[in-house]
This record gives sequence, C-alpha cells and structure tokens, in this order.
Amino acid sequence: MATRINESTLADEANFLAAQSLQRRSLLRLAVSGTLATLGPLASAQSGSPKLGGTLVIGADADPIGLDPVTLTAYSSYDFTALLYSGLFRWSADMKVELDLAAGYIAPNDTTYIIRLRQGVKFHNGQDFTAEDVKYTFDRILDPATASPSATLFSGIKAVTVIDPFTVKFELKAPSATFLSYLATNPNGVIVPRGVADLKTKPVGTGPFVFESYEPNQQFTLKANRNYYEDKQPYLGTVVFKFFKDQASISSALRSKAIDMTWFKDPKVSAQIVKSSPDLVSAPGKTSRTFPVWMSMKAKPFNDVRVRRALSLATDRKACLQTVLGGSGKVGAMVPESQVGGYDGVGPMPYYKTDVPAAKKLLAEAGYPNGIDLGDYIVVAANALDVQCAQVLQQQWAAAGIKVNIKPMETAPLIGLWLKGDFGLLSIALSWSPDPDAIVSRLLSTGSQGKGIGMADAPLDKLIEDARAILDNTKRAAAYQQIQKHIADQAYILQIYQYPLRWEAWRKYVKGYVPLAANIRTFVRTTWVDK
Amino acid sequence: MRRLVLIRLAWMLPILLGVSVVAFVLMRALPGDFAQASAGTTELAPEALNIIRRDLGLDQPVWEQYLRWLAQLLKGDFGDSFTTHKPVLGELLPRLAVTAELTLMAGLMAMALGASSGLASARLRGRTDWLVRGVNGLFLAVPNFVVATLIVLLAGLYFPEVGIFNYTPFLTDPLGNLGSLLLPAFSLALAVSVTISENTRAAVLEVSSQDFVMVARAKGLRPHTILWQYLVRNALTPVITVTGLQLASLLGGSILIETIFTIPGMGQYLFDSVSSRNYPVVQAIVLVAASIVLFVNVLVDVAYARVDARVSYE
Amino acid sequence: MNERQPLGGGNAMISVGLLMLACLVAITLFGTLIAPYNPSATGADSLAGPSAAHWLGTDSIGRDLLSRLIVGGRTTLLITFVAVTLAVCGGLALGLFCGYVGGLADQVVMRILDVVFAFPVFLLAIAVVAALGPSVPNLILTIAIVYTPRLARVVRGPVLSVKRWDHVEAARSVGVSEFNIATRHVLPLIVSPVLVETSLTLAQTIFTVTALSFLGLGPPPPDPNWGAMLSEARQFMELAPLAVIGPATAIVFATLTFIVLANGLRERLDVASR
Repeated sequence: MATRINESTLADEANFLAAQSLQRRSLLRLAVSGTLATLGPLASAQSGSPKLGGTLVIGADADPIGLDPVTLTAYSSYDFTALLYSGLFRWSADMKVELDLAAGYIAPNDTTYIIRLRQGVKFHNGQDFTAEDVKYTFDRILDPATASPSATLFSGIKAVTVIDPFTVKFELKAPSATFLSYLATNPNGVIVPRGVADLKTKPVGTGPFVFESYEPNQQFTLKANRNYYEDKQPYLGTVVFKFFKDQASISSALRSKAIDMTWFKDPKVSAQIVKSSPDLVSAPGKTSRTFPVWMSMKAKPFNDVRVRRALSLATDRKACLQTVLGGSGKVGAMVPESQVGGYDGVGPMPYYKTDVPAAKKLLAEAGYPNGIDLGDYIVVAANALDVQCAQVLQQQWAAAGIKVNIKPMETAPLIGLWLKGDFGLLSIALSWSPDPDAIVSRLLSTGSQGKGIGMADAPLDKLIEDARAILDNTKRAAAYQQIQKHIADQAYILQIYQYPLRWEAWRKYVKGYVPLAANIRTFVRTTWVDK
Repeated sequence: MRRLVLIRLAWMLPILLGVSVVAFVLMRALPGDFAQASAGTTELAPEALNIIRRDLGLDQPVWEQYLRWLAQLLKGDFGDSFTTHKPVLGELLPRLAVTAELTLMAGLMAMALGASSGLASARLRGRTDWLVRGVNGLFLAVPNFVVATLIVLLAGLYFPEVGIFNYTPFLTDPLGNLGSLLLPAFSLALAVSVTISENTRAAVLEVSSQDFVMVARAKGLRPHTILWQYLVRNALTPVITVTGLQLASLLGGSILIETIFTIPGMGQYLFDSVSSRNYPVVQAIVLVAASIVLFVNVLVDVAYARVDARVSYE
Repeated sequence: MNERQPLGGGNAMISVGLLMLACLVAITLFGTLIAPYNPSATGADSLAGPSAAHWLGTDSIGRDLLSRLIVGGRTTLLITFVAVTLAVCGGLALGLFCGYVGGLADQVVMRILDVVFAFPVFLLAIAVVAALGPSVPNLILTIAIVYTPRLARVVRGPVLSVKRWDHVEAARSVGVSEFNIATRHVLPLIVSPVLVETSLTLAQTIFTVTALSFLGLGPPPPDPNWGAMLSEARQFMELAPLAVIGPATAIVFATLTFIVLANGLRERLDVASR
C-alpha cells in the first residue's frame, strides 16, 4: 500500500546529488505531503491540547519473547518493538506509508530507491543514527546466519549501499510494490544500532520510548525518549504494560481502572465490557485478517474441485459471522478489506451463496451420494474464536452430509503440519500482513507451502507474480480482485469471515490514540492522559 | 522408627532421579519442540530452526542432554530458561515463594476456620452441630476452582469496581500483596478446613466425656491442662499431617487458582513452560514439586506408623 | 480416637448417597435421550438468558445450556466411573501382590508407584494430551494411572498387617492353604477400606476430570463437559451467569454424592479413618 510521492526522471544519481536546488524543491514537496499525511488524522484524534508527562497502563495478554526486531518471531513482542524502535517509513493513521526516519526519497528507476535520512537522530544509548546503521540492519536481516524471519520479506533486495552518512541506496532485483510497505512495518523494517549486542534483552532503538525494566509475567516499563525527533512527542512520561492471562482478568482490570487501555480477542467480550461501562471507548477496528479453512489437495477427496465447491456451498458465512463474532466483522475472501484490492464482504463471489441441495448434488456427482467423512479438522486449541467457528461449521456441513472430526491442537505442532501440507482440513488465522502479496503467495505452486498442499495452477501463479510488480494502486487492486475470484471459484481455500485482529478498548481519559488496522500500537506516541 | 525414616529419605534420591528421567523423556515426546514453538506463526526455514536448536543443545542425543543436565544440576545450576535466557533458579524461587505464601495463607485460614467451627460444633451441639457438619459437607463437595470462579462471578456482578486480579509482589507492597491473596487463599482453604473441623470436633468431644475428666482428677491433674495437652496431641497431629498432605499436592490445585486469579506462582509457570516447550524450566519445577510431595509423604507415613501400631513397615 | 456421633446413622447417609448416585447413573446411561436439544446444535441467539425454549439459556455460540449440561454430565461421569474402576482393579492387583509377597519386590513396586505419586498430575495430563491428543480414552488412562498408587496403598496396608496376626499364623502352621487365608481372612478386611477409598477417589476424580477439562485438557469440542463449560463461561460471566452456575452446581452435586456415600460407608463399616 505505498503512496508514490515523487517519481524523478533523473537518470544519474551523481547528478541528482549535485543538483542541490532540484533536491531542495523535491524535498519540500516530500516534506509537505509527508506532513499532510500525519496532520490529518492527528487533528481529528486530538481534542484539546496534550498534557505532557503522565503514565499510561496497558493490559497485555502475552509476554514478549525477545526484543530484537531482527530475530524475534513472537507476535506478542510487537507491542513493545512498536514503541522502542522506528524505521525508515511507518504507517499513517489511515494506513498509508509515510516518512519516519527517512526525510525523503527518490526512485530514479523501478528497482532503485535513494533515501535521504533525518539528521540529528540519536539511539537510546546516545549513538548517532546514520546510514551505516541502515546498512547494518539490512545486512543482518539478509545474513543467513542470523536466521531472521524478515529475510523472506526483503529477499528482493540486491544491495544496500551507503552513499554518505545520511543517504542510503537500495537496489532491488525486480520492481516490487511491496518494498515500501515492508519497510514501514514494525518490527520488520525498523533500524537497529550497529555494534550493539544483546538487543534481545536490552533493546536500543530510535523509537519514542526507552526500555526501563521488565519483570516476566508481571510488568514491562518504558520511559519517554527525551531525544525523540518528532516535535513534543511522546506526550506520555511513562508507559507500563501489565500482563494478564485471560480475557476475564483483563476485563476486570479495565473495569476497575487497574489498566487504562487494552485489546480483546473476542468481540463479544469487548462488547460486554463497553456496554457495562459508560466511560470506555471501543474502536470499531478495521478488518485485518481472515479465518481460512485450508485443504490439502494432494489426494482424494480434496483434489476434486466438486468436493471443495460443495464444502463452500454448504457453508453459511453470514451465520458464522453472526454467531461467533456477534456481527463484528465481514464475510471474507483471500485478502482482507484493509489491504489493496481487499474484499468488501458484499460483492459477489463464486460459491459463496449458501445452497445445501446444490452442495449435495455436487457431492453426488463426485461419487458421494450418501455424504462423505472428511476426517480430522485441525484447529488452534488456544484460539477460542477459531474453535467456536469450527464447531459452527461442523454443524452446517453436517446438514449437507459432510462429517468432520474437530481436533484442537497446540500451535507449534499445528504449524509444522500446516507448512508441510500434512493434513486434510486445517484452520489457522494469521496476523496482519503488510501486503496482500504475502497472503496470496502461499498458494503459489512454486512455493514450499503451495507444493505441500498440492497446488498446480500455473495461470494463477502468473497472476500472483504479475500483481506483485504492478506499481499503480488501482490496477493492483483490480488484479487482486481477479485473483480472489479465481481462488473462490476453484475453492482452493475456504475463507469464512474477516475481522480485526484485536478489538481495542480504552478509558475516555486516554486521548490521542489511533488504533491501526495493522494492530501495531505505534500511536501511543501521540497519546496523552487527561486525568 | 529412625531407621524407617532414614530408609525412606534414602529412597527419595532414586525416586527423584526416576521422576526427572520420566519428565525429560515425556517433554521430548511432545510433538513440536522449542524452536518450532518459539517461531509461532512465522515460518522459519529449517536452517533457521536448526540454528536455534544448536544454540540450546537440542541437536544432541537425548541421553547426552540428560547427562549434561544432571551434571549441571549437581553443581547447583538448574540451567537457563529457553525463553528469557535467564537462570531458571532465579525465576523459580520467587514463584515458589508466591505459591508457598498462598499455601501458607490457605493453611492458616483453614486452621482458623476449621478449629473454630469444630469447637463450636462440639461445644454447642444440637442444631449448630448439624449446621456445621452440613456446611462442611458442602465445602468438601465444591472443588476449589469452582469456589474461585463463583467468587470472581459474584465480585464481577456486584462489586465491579473492586479489582480482584491485582496481584502485587510482597516487596513492593506488603499489605496490598496480602490483600490480593485473600480471596485465592480462601478458595483453597474451604476444603482443607473440613478435615480440621472434623478432627477438632472429635477431639473436643472426647475431652468432654465424663470418664476422661474423672480419670484426670484421679491422677491429680487439673482438667484444663490436660484438655489443652490432649487437644494438641490428638487433634493437631492428624490435622497437621492431613493439611500437609493436601497442601503438598497444591501444585495441582494451585494451577487452577493461579490461572483464575492471575497469580504468578509455580502452577502457571509449569503450564506456560510446557506449552512453550521450555525444557529446563519444566525439569526444575518437576524436581521441586516431586521433592515436596515425597518429603511430606514420608512425614505422613511416619505419623501414621506412630498412630497405628498394627501396621508394620518392615 | 476419632469417635463420631453419627448424624442419623451411616445408613441414612448411604441411602441418600445411593439415591443421588442413581440420578448420576441415569444421566450417564440415558443422557442423550433426556436432553431436550442436540447439545451441538448452534443457531439460537448466543448467550441468551433463560426462556421457555431454553430453560437455562444458551452458550456463546447459541447452544442449549441444559442439553449441554446433561450430555456433559454423561461424558464427565463416564470418564470418572471407568477411570476409577480401572484404578481400583490396578490398585487391588498391585496392593495384594505387594502385601503378600513383601520383601524386595514389594519395596521396588512401591517405589515405582511413589514415582507416579510424586509426579505432578497436571504435567502428566498435559503430556498425555499433547502427545496423544485430547480424547476420552486418553483422559481415562491418565486418571487411572494417577489414582492406582493410592488404592494400592490402601489395599497393601491391611494385607501386610493381617499376614502377621497370630491366628493367621496358626492357621498357616496347621496347613490351611494361602488361598483360604486370603479369601477368609484378608479379603474381608480390605473390602471396607477399599469401598471407602473408592468413593473418596470417585469424589476426587470428579475434581480432577473437571479440573483438567477446565484447563483445556479434556475431551475435545464439540463434546460438552462440565469443566470446559465452566472455563468458557468465565469470559461472559456478566452476560450469562447461568452458564457458570449451571456447571458449578452440577459438579458440586456429583462430588457431594460420592462424599455422602463415603461418609456413610465409613460410619457403617466403622473403619479407622485416615
């Protein structure tokens, strides 16, 4: 979802650097559009002028596992890296890429980005931020010895070169619409200080807050970064995360004001608490993930498109949405609405209209006139919503003569099975993805996962690979619409509904906070407490 | 008697060894290992997972890993937690202290509640007796986690402003700490108080019998002294042993209470560590828990051997 | 030392206990027939309060609570009864063996049982479930393993003591067969404590079964069971308090049944209590 701010026609980067006047003009343009992107939503989020200092207590449902953004894998760590680190770009309140540590950039051609860095930025340990740190960060990410999860995201980078202390050049192997989105995503694209070891337990970044202390399972404390480069931000003096084990205790803590802000995994819980407390605000939340039912199509019966289509016809997506989410979400397809080309939940999709008799007919055609037993349906035991939806689906499919056996499993072994394609039916809802390409690429027949589930659709592969390189947003959106319709038509994967990853809630005296569809808490930097 | 105790204590070592071996093997029999568990939903290339495994020594054969762990243990080192990379002992001891504090509070509450209800029941007789014994039956029938859930329900419905999940460490705020453990300890204390109540009642009844007082007077002793001596000897001994037994198995009960009231004790620590396949932590907890159970078992057996002379343990 | 003034005689308690037990057995055998709805049928309003259609209301995905309570009772009680039966059989076998044979074999077996006894119940359950998957047979297995040592000890005690009684020695010296000694002298002695311990174990097992399901280690969905229902209802307590009170009451009723039976048996059989 990148907004291209400036397309230069300069062919020679040396000329560009020498042409100071040209640079100043383009920088001005960048600066203006950059500021506009931040001022808009900020103005609407604020009511009154921010009070400086103050403490915000946030309820978290899981401890971080590692605080080094280059190596961490746990989603629970994202809460903390969002405040400790910043990157070249970031997501604005309306989910557009905007400048952060980058002061501006030029793209002389489709595969090169020359980025001019902010000056005078210091890391939390006093070290100066320069282009060397950018190069160091990406060298680390791409080094196989680091085993960084971000390596696949940035595998399209050919070279990172330091031009001068505040200019860095990225060269890509091929044009990519995803590059800036990945750079803007915390923690994948954030910058780490060179030469600082053990970021896992002693994080040092350029973010609005500085690490103070961490007691596992109890509390994580951060203090404001007085050297933060955004004017007057962060408004808060201290941010404290308190850890809770389950939704019930988080609700109670929010109600008794032990915490000021939190997010819930179940919309019914968040609706309940907001209903009972008049001074709680709940964010409507934009949809950021889908609930898919994966099928491994290597063997019978899933290799038969009629069986898959029958399953789709037997599913009543609206009923699932109503029963499990209380209506808080939309019917889903491959790409959630908050992404480029995302499905809006109402447009027509092949085989989405519930039709049990048609499903039975398809099954009979496929050779199962008396129904079929599809075996184990594996779900993540720890995700209550997933388990609930699986049970609703089981009932719906039973009406069409399709029998499944629900098997809740621990996340770690489940992922092992999922990646290898060793399953019949499996559901795992993924967290927000910076770009729709990451979502649909799983179905590439050339990818390890696609191979694992028996994908062999060459035309689809081409559609996906082409869409990756389309730089015009409108054209790109159309491409993803086409891809989703094709996937639904072939029923390669059943998508049920789309919903926000978390439903956020906070007390009325917390002001200036903007929840992102990406569920990254970076806007704590603009938050202040009016008590 | 002394020989018996020494033999039982000597047997503790091989038993603990056996327990640790079982735990070691069991954890590695679980599907998925730490590398996979820590990756979560992010896909790591097999090489990446192997790097994690190599760093933690998980690529060695199992028996080698066990011997290495044992060697470390004999030096007093329980290893480092896989998730926090900090020494396990340093994380375990505070949590053990929390569970121990909870247990102790529960024990004291149970004794206070049980002794007073038993006394009332024996002295006042009649309807009070029926009431107390009936209520005792009910207390025994309600599992501690059901009590805890009902308490949380009532608090949520009628006192929503009161924070019941606000555990604070003792060193930060002693009074707040005790307050936050009040309700959880109470949930645990109810069932335990029943046995104490019954035993107190029985002892007091016995003491109240006429024969006993007559015999005491004949011996030239004052009934009051005898009363207390008798009570202490006959009521407290079984009380303490039974309480000890029940509290020793608290690791199981405490998981539930700790989960419901979000208290950072051993139970939660065990549960989380198994889910994240944090082997060193699980090993340490199992060892500590088993030691406690075995030790208390020995105490109980010794106490019963004294009581029932007919049972020989030769 | 533990003189008890019987409440109304052990007989009264046994009668009450048996009546309650009959209810439980009825639920176990006929649960699916009695339940008004299919316990897995979704579709009604989620978390609705009690109404004419749904006497106890509905759960978080619109299933009838009363039906889930009844069928859940069936699952919970089935696991309890079968697991304890297995534990009793195992305990009897091991206890008789150890008590009779004595010596080194006795010591070794008892120490192995100590290992099982010392092992935290929940770790064993978590491990079995993680390794073999959550299911009814696996849960039964876990619980049977956990409670066998206790019953073995209860059996072993009387056997050990009876072996040394004078008239038993006398009978032996006269040539009465071990088998006769076992059946005429030993067996009657262990019946009482085993009965009492069994009913106590049943009460404890209800606790363990519901506790394990509460933690998510019980039978997988959509099979209802009391522990899981209680755990799930915690999140929505204010919206649907009946979803908490229902399973809680059921658990208490079942546990109470076995405790009443245990107390009654203890009084009736006049056993030296532990």
